[in-house]
Amino acid sequence: MSRQVIVIGAGVAGTGAAIAAAASARTTVIDGGTGASTLSTGAIDLAPWAHAPESASIPEEVQQALERLGGYVVPDGGSLVLTSAGIARPARGHDAALLDVAPLASGRVGVVRCDRSGWDADALARAWGPRYQPLDATVMRLSDERVLPDADFAARHDDEDRLGWLAERLRDALSHSGRALSALVLPPALGVERARAEALSKRVGMPCGEAIGMPGGPSGLRFERGRDRALSSAGVVRVRARATKIDRAGSRWSVVTDGADTHEGDAVVLATGGLIGGGFEYAPSETMLASVLPPRARAPIRLAIEAPLSIGSRGRPLELPGSLFGIPPESLSWPFAADALFDRAGLLVDENGAATETGGLGLFAAGEITADEPRTWLAALWSGLRAGAAAAREASQRGAEARSIA
Amino acid sequence: MPEEPLVSVPPQPEAMPVAERSLEADRVDAVVIGGGINGTGVARDLSLRGLSVALFERNDLAFGASGNSSGMIHGGVRYLSQAPKVTESSCRDSGYIQRTAPHLLFRIPFLMPLRSGPQGRLMLELVDAYFRAYDDFQPLKRGEPHCRLDASDFSRLEPGLVGSIVGGVTFDEWGVDGARLCVLNAVDAIENGARLHLHTTVESIGRIVDGEAKSPDRYVVEARNRLTQQRTRVRARVVVNATGAWSPITAALGGLPQARARVRPGKGIHIVLDRRVTNYGIVSEAIDGRQMFLFPWQNVSVIGTTDDDYFGDLDDVRATSEEVRYLVQGVARVFPGVRESRAIGTYAGVRPTLFAYGKNEDELSREHEVVDHAADGAPGVYSMLGGKLASYRLFAQELCDAVLPREFDSSVRCTTHTRPLPGGNRVPDAIALATKHGITPVAGRRLVYRHGERAARVLEGTGRRGRELDIACQCEPVLESEVRYVVREEMARTVADVARRTRLGLGACGGMRCAARCGQIVAEELDLPPAEGCAMAREFLERQARTRVVALGPEQARQEALALAHVRASLGDLG
Repeated sequence: MSRQVIVIGAGVAGTGAAIAAAASARTTVIDGGTGASTLSTGAIDLAPWAHAPESASIPEEVQQALERLGGYVVPDGGSLVLTSAGIARPARGHDAALLDVAPLASGRVGVVRCDRSGWDADALARAWGPRYQPLDATVMRLSDERVLPDADFAARHDDEDRLGWLAERLRDALSHSGRALSALVLPPALGVERARAEALSKRVGMPCGEAIGMPGGPSGLRFERGRDRALSSAGVVRVRARATKIDRAGSRWSVVTDGADTHEGDAVVLATGGLIGGGFEYAPSETMLASVLPPRARAPIRLAIEAPLSIGSRGRPLELPGSLFGIPPESLSWPFAADALFDRAGLLVDENGAATETGGLGLFAAGEITADEPRTWLAALWSGLRAGAAAAREASQRGAEARSIA
Repeated sequence: MPEEPLVSVPPQPEAMPVAERSLEADRVDAVVIGGGINGTGVARDLSLRGLSVALFERNDLAFGASGNSSGMIHGGVRYLSQAPKVTESSCRDSGYIQRTAPHLLFRIPFLMPLRSGPQGRLMLELVDAYFRAYDDFQPLKRGEPHCRLDASDFSRLEPGLVGSIVGGVTFDEWGVDGARLCVLNAVDAIENGARLHLHTTVESIGRIVDGEAKSPDRYVVEARNRLTQQRTRVRARVVVNATGAWSPITAALGGLPQARARVRPGKGIHIVLDRRVTNYGIVSEAIDGRQMFLFPWQNVSVIGTTDDDYFGDLDDVRATSEEVRYLVQGVARVFPGVRESRAIGTYAGVRPTLFAYGKNEDELSREHEVVDHAADGAPGVYSMLGGKLASYRLFAQELCDAVLPREFDSSVRCTTHTRPLPGGNRVPDAIALATKHGITPVAGRRLVYRHGERAARVLEGTGRRGRELDIACQCEPVLESEVRYVVREEMARTVADVARRTRLGLGACGGMRCAARCGQIVAEELDLPPAEGCAMAREFLERQARTRVVALGPEQARQEALALAHVRASLGDLG
């Protein structure tokens, strides 16, 4: 019988872990709901983008995982995407709905006028540079669309007819303007089920795509849909619940959920995210009710799930601070410290994601919950793939050991 | 003007520099240095009395203590026993401000609970008597007389109070947006002919000694705009140093002895909570016995304040987490719910208290003083030291009353106690305004609060471009048209300037949702390269993060992490 891997968390790291583990083990994902991955805005990076050149090569296994997820592009040499804050920024790759302006050479890009809040095409064209020109077009069809949230507006273009209507409006606009444009950029609007940029580009006859919007837009939802399809085709079992406890169960691990179910596995991958995702919590003692003193001093960052693991950084567990009121917030968070604790605290793991604290007995971690890792989308996917593969190996080894003992 | 020796009165560490005669310079009657409440107040008063005025401000209007106070035109109840004159003048002027800017004031009823204890009853009698004395001043500012309360009254009025309470009192104060008050004074000064140079730092104050016997001017002030690097020279007969805690620095620019413009800088911080956690101001005691407050202010609650000698950089005054903990501990003792509340920021300023050595901060005088530097060999140069937000108008009047007859042979009388500040002649119906322009009632009310009758001007002509009525900042809320208005009419030059004038970006999201758009609008209005709009948005967000991190609670920590992720994704990395 094949062995069981349990992945906790269904963000980009958990998805990577589940895809990798499912290749050789039965895999269950316990999904506690949305996290940082759902808030991603579509640019995908290996390292914090302002710090590292984005031409780093993408490992084969990551390429394959991206293909299974669908809807992502990682061109050789990286890409250049537009943000609705008004800059063009390099990225290692991007959600396929975004317009990549790197391959457009010097062609002019039309910025489609759309009277929605946060999208002032004229201001954006000026901000992005001289090759960008506002283009008058009708892209809203119903009266509510002016104030509809980005994701809801984008969902309207999942509809084939609506996308066709949009393509016609854009073609009309292009022919009326009489200008030679070589691409069009739109607000985040091109589908939620899957990226519709390619389909739209074909109908319009030139590259069309979104600019990056605010967190919580369609890009995060497209990730979720792609993930659902990838996990389902990989045969991964999904459990909708929040894992509350990881415990030993003989030579195996048990995971208890808030629904009071228990799932047993030979290896567990913890991929519940960092501070945004909720994998660890900031819980300073001073928020406790206390007249003068907090009840006890403790490290203010702790794991959100009960597990035989503790938060650390740089190879050491987080120590009790020498203050009743916890670590001074100035050292916890950007922008005071270049290596603020929130950016590096997490679970201590080896290069395969095995938790060093338990001596690699089948407990793994991936993504933002791991310590001292770059907290970027591609880095999370990659660490998930490594941890998932290692977890599956560990599970089968331990299974083999168990059989040989028997 | 006869030539005279520069150093007339020893000891003077450095001679006042001599102005170069070759450079061209505009001329005005008076140069005012400092764009806080005293500087703008004096610029307004001088302009209203017919003098030509140029004002220089190194940062922005209300950048220092004026925009970072507790936001109250309070009557100075704590000064009643030592300096009843301060209390009376504060109350009287509070009344005048209510008349001249009625839209900007809001009532804050305070509760002062007294804890049970061996002397609790006695304390209650004393406090009751003290506030009876304060009641005599309340009519000056349309305040209600105090009420004596028993323990059950407190639990009914504010169930969040804990501890054994023997009784206590209520008293009545008025809240104000100090930054808006500065801006209104500045705008009125401009409308009466004053020229304001913001973000412009004075680099020298030079003496004219070229023997132009007929010229009334005595000084040349040279300044540089810190945003554009453009230089300005102005000749003037009178120079007023109204730079608050910066006063000795300003004096030194003119070669005047710093000791003559000395203040004792006292740092005060405030914590901002995301909502009105109580409808009453609540008086409590910090661990060292200092009195402090939790009070509702506009749409948030504020905890304040500290008073500590300050030795740091006046251009970068920030609260520390230690100060935050000191205040939270003090409030939590009587109102423990504050520990569960969500802090969304802190702000800090430095009071320019009159100098004294060997006293603790609370014993320092809150009075104000005009220093005439004629005694230092610089006739016509004056420093305004000390003072409070509540008595700025009186301080300005005192300076003008002294200077006008002496320097300009003028006896024009003060009108600032009766003449409405811009927008203050009438408070329009916010709901009607909102309905007329199709904005939300909340946006309408906030707009009327900030602009009074001029709210209509903010909305004028907005029908032409639909986007003008879009909400730029959801938290406050602030309309795009108001962002444009404060750039055009109120001299905002950066995202942070817009925030001071409108409170954009100071809400729960810390500017995450609005800073970039605000930067675009400011850049567009000022015809700046769009990249500068992005840069000022980044700068604002970083500054916001620095002032918020020190009050990080669990919710705030996640919000900050999210803001950081968004900034990294869309504006570029910071730092």
